[in-house]
Amino acid sequence: MSSFALKAAAGAAALFASVSMTTLAAASDKLTIVTSYPADVTDVYKSAFEQANPGVTVEVVNKSTSSGVKFLKETASNNSADIFWASAPDAFEVLKGDGLLVKYTSSVEGLPEKIGAYPINDPDGFYTGFALSGYGIMWNTRYAQSYDLEPAKQWSDLTKAQYFGHVGISSPSRSGTTHLTIETILQGEGWEKGWEQIKWIGGNSYTITERSFGVPDGVNTGSFGFGVVIDFFGFSSRSSGFPVDFVYPDVTALVPANVGVVTNAPNEDNARKFVDFLLSAKGQELLLDPKIMRLPVNPEAYANAPEGFPNPFVGDTIKASVSFDSDASKAHYNAVNALFDSMITYRHKELAAAVKAIHEAEAAVGEGGSQAAKDLIKEARALVAWTPVDLETANDPAFGAIFTTKRKSEDDKSSGRQAEVEQEWDARIVENYAKAVDLAEKAKSAN
Amino acid sequence: MLQAIETTGQLAASSGATPIRIRNLTLSFGTTKVLKGIDLDIGAGEFFAFLGPSGSGKSTLLRAIAGFGPRPSGEILLGERNVIGLQPWKRDVGMVFQSYALWPHMTVRQNVAYGLEERRRPAEEIRRRVREALELVGLDAYADRYPSQLSGGQQQRVALARTVVIEPKVLLLDEPLSNLDANLRVQMRQDLLALQRRLGITTIFVTHDQEEANTICDRIAVLSDGVVQQVGEPDHVYDQPANSFVARFLGTANILDGRVIARDGACRFVLDERSSIPLQGSHGEGEASFVLRPRGLEFADDGAGEIAGTISGSEFLGDTIRYFVEIGDRSVLVDEVHRRGGDRRSAGTNVMLRVVPGQGVVLAR
Amino acid sequence: MAALSTVSSRASFGQRISWGPLTAALGILLFLVAFLILPVAMVIYVAFTDPGSGQLTLANFMDFFRSALFRESFYNSFYVAAMSVVLATVFALPLAYITSRFNFRGAVLIQTLGFVPLIMPPFIGAVAMQLLFGANGSVNLLLRDWFGFTLPFMEGLNGVILVQSIHYFPFILINLSASLRNIDRSMEESAQMLGSHGMRLFRRIVLPLAMPGYIAGASLVFVKVFDDLGTPLLLNVNNMLAPQAYLRISSVGISDPMGYVISVILIVCSIFAMWVSISAMRGKDYSTTQKGGGGLSKRDLGALETAGCYLVVLALLAIVLAPHIGLLLLSIGTVWSFSVLPDGFTTEHYAVAVNKAWPFIKNTLLYAGIAALIDVLLGTAIAYLAARTTLIGRKWLDYIAMAALAVPGVVLGIGYLRLFYSVDIPFTGAPLATWWGIIVIALATRRLPYALRSCSAALQQVSPSLEEASENLGAPKLRTVRRIVLPLMAAGLVAGFVTSFATAAVELSATIMLVAQESDAPLAYGLYLFMQSAAGRGPGAALGVITVVIVGLATYFAQHLVEKARREQSASAGSH
Repeated sequence: MSSFALKAAAGAAALFASVSMTTLAAASDKLTIVTSYPADVTDVYKSAFEQANPGVTVEVVNKSTSSGVKFLKETASNNSADIFWASAPDAFEVLKGDGLLVKYTSSVEGLPEKIGAYPINDPDGFYTGFALSGYGIMWNTRYAQSYDLEPAKQWSDLTKAQYFGHVGISSPSRSGTTHLTIETILQGEGWEKGWEQIKWIGGNSYTITERSFGVPDGVNTGSFGFGVVIDFFGFSSRSSGFPVDFVYPDVTALVPANVGVVTNAPNEDNARKFVDFLLSAKGQELLLDPKIMRLPVNPEAYANAPEGFPNPFVGDTIKASVSFDSDASKAHYNAVNALFDSMITYRHKELAAAVKAIHEAEAAVGEGGSQAAKDLIKEARALVAWTPVDLETANDPAFGAIFTTKRKSEDDKSSGRQAEVEQEWDARIVENYAKAVDLAEKAKSAN
Repeated sequence: MLQAIETTGQLAASSGATPIRIRNLTLSFGTTKVLKGIDLDIGAGEFFAFLGPSGSGKSTLLRAIAGFGPRPSGEILLGERNVIGLQPWKRDVGMVFQSYALWPHMTVRQNVAYGLEERRRPAEEIRRRVREALELVGLDAYADRYPSQLSGGQQQRVALARTVVIEPKVLLLDEPLSNLDANLRVQMRQDLLALQRRLGITTIFVTHDQEEANTICDRIAVLSDGVVQQVGEPDHVYDQPANSFVARFLGTANILDGRVIARDGACRFVLDERSSIPLQGSHGEGEASFVLRPRGLEFADDGAGEIAGTISGSEFLGDTIRYFVEIGDRSVLVDEVHRRGGDRRSAGTNVMLRVVPGQGVVLAR
Repeated sequence: MAALSTVSSRASFGQRISWGPLTAALGILLFLVAFLILPVAMVIYVAFTDPGSGQLTLANFMDFFRSALFRESFYNSFYVAAMSVVLATVFALPLAYITSRFNFRGAVLIQTLGFVPLIMPPFIGAVAMQLLFGANGSVNLLLRDWFGFTLPFMEGLNGVILVQSIHYFPFILINLSASLRNIDRSMEESAQMLGSHGMRLFRRIVLPLAMPGYIAGASLVFVKVFDDLGTPLLLNVNNMLAPQAYLRISSVGISDPMGYVISVILIVCSIFAMWVSISAMRGKDYSTTQKGGGGLSKRDLGALETAGCYLVVLALLAIVLAPHIGLLLLSIGTVWSFSVLPDGFTTEHYAVAVNKAWPFIKNTLLYAGIAALIDVLLGTAIAYLAARTTLIGRKWLDYIAMAALAVPGVVLGIGYLRLFYSVDIPFTGAPLATWWGIIVIALATRRLPYALRSCSAALQQVSPSLEEASENLGAPKLRTVRRIVLPLMAAGLVAGFVTSFATAAVELSATIMLVAQESDAPLAYGLYLFMQSAAGRGPGAALGVITVVIVGLATYFAQHLVEKARREQSASAGSH
């Protein structure tokens, strides 16, 4: 109440006041965390950490991963954040590349260094993995039953005709975790085949959600039946009582969710304590909270896990056939985002029309259809699959430069403008999708 | 209190004009009775006025004739047709609103043409009649202006043209002159009269200004408290007020309370022990009021007056001087013609007053 | 007598060169420049900068118009905004007509509930609408069960149009009702007398006279929908301008100037729309109420007509309050998944929400309250300077303040971040952009146009002669304003405060960019946090209901005050 009164008093003169009492009081009894995690996660850790460190107040700044990165970049000159805490390692790579993280190696010992072949912590020590995440398919059991659909087990299942209009996926440019999923598929299936599969899933989608959480949300409410999500969304939704389930496809990777200390952190000591806390036995145990449900990096923590909770360190519930390569991911990070949006997000209506037409043509033509019709369908599929740039170009730093504006020096010029390039792609993509529809129609009537 | 109404139509009614008969008209706003059993006969082609102070019910009565406001009980007969319950647009009644109610989004021409368009007249006819109506009010040059570009008097005339162009059976004017300045008002009321005579249309004029009513109307009805107090020609109502309200409302009146006594076949009005006034004709004995205009009293400088009093003050009114005379604990007004050079009676003078023969009216109390 | 008149005339000469209005004007100008013009200019500057060379260029705009995607987005935004206006009109017109036309007990219901959609916090309205009207929402589940088909209420642009028109239709309702109230009864009666009635009378007389109010409301709806970000984003509609701008500005690693270009185009279009509406209304101030007039004549209804009116009103209210109904269900439901209604009911979510909500509520009341107060102060000052002084350029203060309407919240948020991050709060050294006060200022700037219009309207109703009378009796300018003008404007000021407060309380688009720490976050932001997790939906919805109730009650009481003041004024003004 007194702080309310204080704010009110200050507020009356807010416009011209030069001192803010509330901020004056702050010193090093504070910890500011920029995170993409929802309140369900942050609340648990905030109170546990404050309990473990009496006198320290945790401030949580909730941003999506991408805007969190943006936020730290924009405010670097006058940084107020201590910790960046999010899932996607590539976001940490971006921050590390921009010098926005400082090295810190936790004092907590006895944790594995790798999961499979993948290092849990940044080899250079700029960020630390505290939990593991795999990517997979979440589905609404009521929905599947009502529409008479088998649960999809593999990515390829989601490309099938019967799932048309029943899938939800987010965009990698909006969701760090979706970016990882897409990247995992691209690495697991190869660039060309990977994109084709992603586009068919996109074409089968009811919608391309704007936020990561839009996908589990849509599955939970039954807006669509199947979603491409990170594992804990599936587990926490299930433990919250929703009629949903989750499965890891074979093509998946276990990727650490990370925490890093921000450069010039005003409360660096507390920031370090927080990293240690996350890795401590207590911190690891909290991951199994029904609202959180993330895979701990400490194998010991699984002892108390609930029934049916996967353990990546034991057995093969999670095949994790892909060993995620974050260097490769980093090389074409922006290109993947731009490609996905150009081909799927922004042209979802056109893509869905093409996919639908081909599904229908295939159903009409069937196994025994004429060769001419089959050729037409094949042609149509090729048009849908067409990707404007190959892997080599995507990895070319000169090409990647069109997506960045932060010029390193005055005479650093990039080759083209993003909008210009995207418009070229867009024209071709729209044309291809329209042509695919035509060909599919022809195939149907040619049969 | 209700006055019997004589049906007159002393005006040479034009052949198509419609008489109005109102029978036992009663109207309430919620629980408040605003009109309490109105009976009125208005002759065909007559220029009739509803006169009364604000709150008297005169506007409500007018609006009831036009079909606005809550539904009254009783009868309103326009010609032979009872219009109670009829929607306003089916009554063929033209009303000019106090505020003129010109539509600001339409030009003068569009305003005037509106009623004809609603009657689905052919375009040619509309054009002709709008022109004629505007000529009638002298505004044919302003046809394409918007109301906001006109003066108050011009707006008034547009409102009039808009109403008469549909050739209503009855023309209702709700305080039409109240928003005009004094000079224009005098001019306009003559114009109104001329127009009414020319069209020969039965017209009701609502006003609180007796001068307006007296100068142009054939007959007036004085309303107060939702009741018709008196109906008649202006001079008649003025001279023979039916009650003290009418007497007071129409001009200045001395109203003296006293008693009528009859003795030896002659009646007298007794004010008090010392003063009494001889009355002409026969009157019932008992408590009564004696009403007379300030001009109905004169100073009996020869001493042969009936009433003794003392002058307490005077006002110079131009052609008359008005004296305030104390009679016991009452006060009366006496007007005396003023001539140049005449002396003004000074305050404090004891005087005798006498009633000018034939003046004054006795009202039973 | 002679002496007296010289004194007063000297006093009024003194007023001409008084520094008061000038200082006030400069102060306001400073505020507008610092918190509106400069931040927007920052954004505009980026739009004209070549990302490669850093030089000024028009190439970005050429790219915009060359891009089929952007052209389509432009078209979609335009289409959605226009259709939202149409649909909002369909909701607002019958409600406004019925309340202004008939003696109808339900009128109070409409006046109270008609405002409620405006206080739906952004994006949770869309969540609730998805649950009710989505492809597998309650309505469509029933339709599928019973009739075997579904209706695409929420598919693509349809969903945006539906949600937006429900959210913003009160702007039309409020403005249209006000103009209907201002039509003198005689306007309608004279037409009836001339033979017109029913729909025809409505179309030819009432509607044209109410048109200025309608256009004011409709253009507001158009601009708000055109600029709105939250709803299309939540419905995953990307092919519109505002989402394109946001997506391109906030995507990780990508610093494409197109987002800024789109922002500029949004601003230009909004200003254009407002200009069109202003010029359409020029010279059409139809306020026709005469002394003792006051609104269209209200007719009593027969039993059947009353039933019909209730049917229309309840049907419309059911539609426009659907988001609130959905929200309420969500807040008391256990699990609501692919079913017509939640599986079970519980009060648990409220316990969770209340437990966490107080800081959010406190911040919201504080921020929106201060912002609305600033708005009313600035609004009154600007209105007064523009209408009653002779300062050069006084109209421009009004124009600039109104231009805030055309600035999308995201654009302002980005501008603030860019502009104020390098400015420190004295003594503490923290960046100004992280101070909670900056959120207040952003809210105040965003909502200033609402308050300003209310204040201007209120001032117009105060005749200058009332001021002159006061000055004549010896009260100097400032005291006259305080003792005569302000009390007479009170109702309008409260109305302005309420509109600013209620809409600021649920604002998210600018705040989401500016909230630097959770302890400073307002309710809308708290909601946003809750809604990011599976277990948070119930408590989030409960918090949403709490928000609506608090803001609704505040609005209701303020409205009550306004009505009371209006009644007292009209009682003393008209005895005719």
